[in-house]
Amino acid sequence: MDNLKHKKILIVDDELEIRTMIDGFLRKEGFTRIYHAANGQETMANLVTNKPDIAILDVMLPDSDGFALLSSIRQFSQIPVLFLSARGEDEDRLLGLGLGADDYMVKPFLPRELVLRLMIILRRVYAPPRHEPQPQFKLGTYTVDLEGSVVHSSSGEQSLTAKENTLLKKLYENRGRIVTSDALCQSVWGDDYYGYENTLMVHIRRIREKIEAAPSSPEHLLTVRGLGYKLMVKEA
Amino acid sequence: MDGAVRILRRFVGSTILISIFLLVLNLITLGAWVFNGMNESPSPKSVTQSMMKHLHLNNGSITLDPEAEELLQQNKVWTMLLNEDGKVMWSYALPDELPRSYSLTDVAKFSRHYLMDYPVYVWEHEGGLAVIGYPKDSYVKYQFNYSVSWIQDIPFRSFILLVGNIALALLLSLFIGSRLIRSIAPLIRGIHALADKQSAHVEPKGVLSSLAASINHTSELLQQQNVALKARDEARSNWIAGISHDIRTPLSMVLGYASELEESDSLPSEQQQKAGIIRQQGEKLRSLIHDLNLVSMLEYEMQPLHIKPIRLSALARQAAADFMNNGLDERFSLELEFADEQLKVNGDEKLLLRAITNLVQNSVAHNAEGCRIKLQTQASSDREVCRLIVTDNGKGVSASVLPDLLELPYSSRRKHPVHNGHGLGLPMVARIAKAHQGQLILRSKIGQGLEVIIELPAADACT
Repeated sequence: MDNLKHKKILIVDDELEIRTMIDGFLRKEGFTRIYHAANGQETMANLVTNKPDIAILDVMLPDSDGFALLSSIRQFSQIPVLFLSARGEDEDRLLGLGLGADDYMVKPFLPRELVLRLMIILRRVYAPPRHEPQPQFKLGTYTVDLEGSVVHSSSGEQSLTAKENTLLKKLYENRGRIVTSDALCQSVWGDDYYGYENTLMVHIRRIREKIEAAPSSPEHLLTVRGLGYKLMVKEA
Repeated sequence: MDGAVRILRRFVGSTILISIFLLVLNLITLGAWVFNGMNESPSPKSVTQSMMKHLHLNNGSITLDPEAEELLQQNKVWTMLLNEDGKVMWSYALPDELPRSYSLTDVAKFSRHYLMDYPVYVWEHEGGLAVIGYPKDSYVKYQFNYSVSWIQDIPFRSFILLVGNIALALLLSLFIGSRLIRSIAPLIRGIHALADKQSAHVEPKGVLSSLAASINHTSELLQQQNVALKARDEARSNWIAGISHDIRTPLSMVLGYASELEESDSLPSEQQQKAGIIRQQGEKLRSLIHDLNLVSMLEYEMQPLHIKPIRLSALARQAAADFMNNGLDERFSLELEFADEQLKVNGDEKLLLRAITNLVQNSVAHNAEGCRIKLQTQASSDREVCRLIVTDNGKGVSASVLPDLLELPYSSRRKHPVHNGHGLGLPMVARIAKAHQGQLILRSKIGQGLEVIIELPAADACT
């Protein structure tokens, strides 16, 4: 993980203050090899001489716009690019991502978010590919293992069907929050989910039989009447 | 082209009516005229007849009553009476050039035509054959000879003639009418195009070229105005987008450094909290700029919509779940009531979700003591319109203020200033509804809560 901090980062923005600020955040996070460019020309020069590993690109530059710049970069380099733009319209966002940017952030931004997103890109591109294990979590005395699709309990093991696994994963990702029955159905049956509400109830009942001591008065997988369901997970 | 066909029909109809009218009028006039000419008084026939009454034969001598003599003088008529042998027995004002004796052939000839260019009329009299002569060149005599079958055919022939006339009038009027329509049709198309705000160009030719020219001119003017209007709207929207953009960069720094300070362990917690307030206010400013931009894009119809079929109930559930997940205060309760799970509209999911969120947020913001908020979906009775209704039982607003709530804050149309919040919430919802070809309806009275209805055209799959 640490060697990600040794990656070379190129900040392209016409505003010196923004570059300085981002530079400061990155250095605080442990990045050391940071280069600046104030316009398209400097960017191209920097790409050739310093060979950065990732670029944070502004869209509005004095001599060209970031979209055009990315297109010309893509002619010779597959460097990952994160757009950081004051243009926040969906169209710009889609255009940037469509051109092959790895992420698109809108100013004003929170520095923590920038660093997190940057790290995600770096990890995806440069960290050795590894299997992201499915989460495993405890619900009272039950342990749900989404990777193995099983629920461990004092009374033994119970396997989860694929649909139950998907539902539990969706609920776990939004733990402590209401997930509407529409969103749950969509995660299992896709966009044509309408009409599966009753089937969803059947699946929820089966899940409860596996993770609840008293399925008819659930403690972990709660019904929010009229809306959907909520998975209560006590973080260890 | 419906208009053109109607014009043509009118034209043909009136042409046929006019033709029939003219035909009848002419027939009547002609008839009256011929009849008058035949009965010009006193006609030769009546003169002859009245003279016969006054020509008496008494014991071989012939006398003419004085009144008949006067009639003869008035009409400059001469007369003679021929006996069985063709000799003139008696005469009155008989021109000298005429012979005094006639053969049977002579009689046959002049009875049908003229006697030495004198138009003559004959009548049988007890004394012989009375001949009455008019001055030369005073009357024309015609003889008509027709076969009986020809006469019998007259009604049929006149009927055919009438029908033929009507048919001819129909054909001619159709021909002329369609030529007229052909020259009018481009004009009609042009005017319809103008009404649809499309550009119209009509080739100016024929009698209506000046009309075509002015349609073209109008179209050009309209296009220019449209372009100008669009340019102005675009300029306004771009101006707001530009300002938002320019605010974003400095705001980035405010937010960035504030959140850095907020997390900095080297600062006392009081300072950290203050930095936190700066960050929160900065984030508020950020969402305000976003809203401002969105409303301006909607206002000037520049907001791109990502349309897809959306089930209203799923959308309302999502909005309600979001509110509950984000910690809706206990003073507020959210109820859902769906008439039909199947109600679907074609819309931009993000914008519609934003609309519902704004409405609920609105109820929350204006009822600090808490209230019950209800989300409902409904279809109109003809299922053409889907309704998304947000009601609260809060303090409501007076009906006079309602229209104001949909106007943008600080706009000249808004009579009352904004009381609470930035005032973009409801105008934004109204514009989102409008962008979806729908509308926003507000109903409220003081103390009776607020009912907000978003009406959207139903997607086809709705029924």
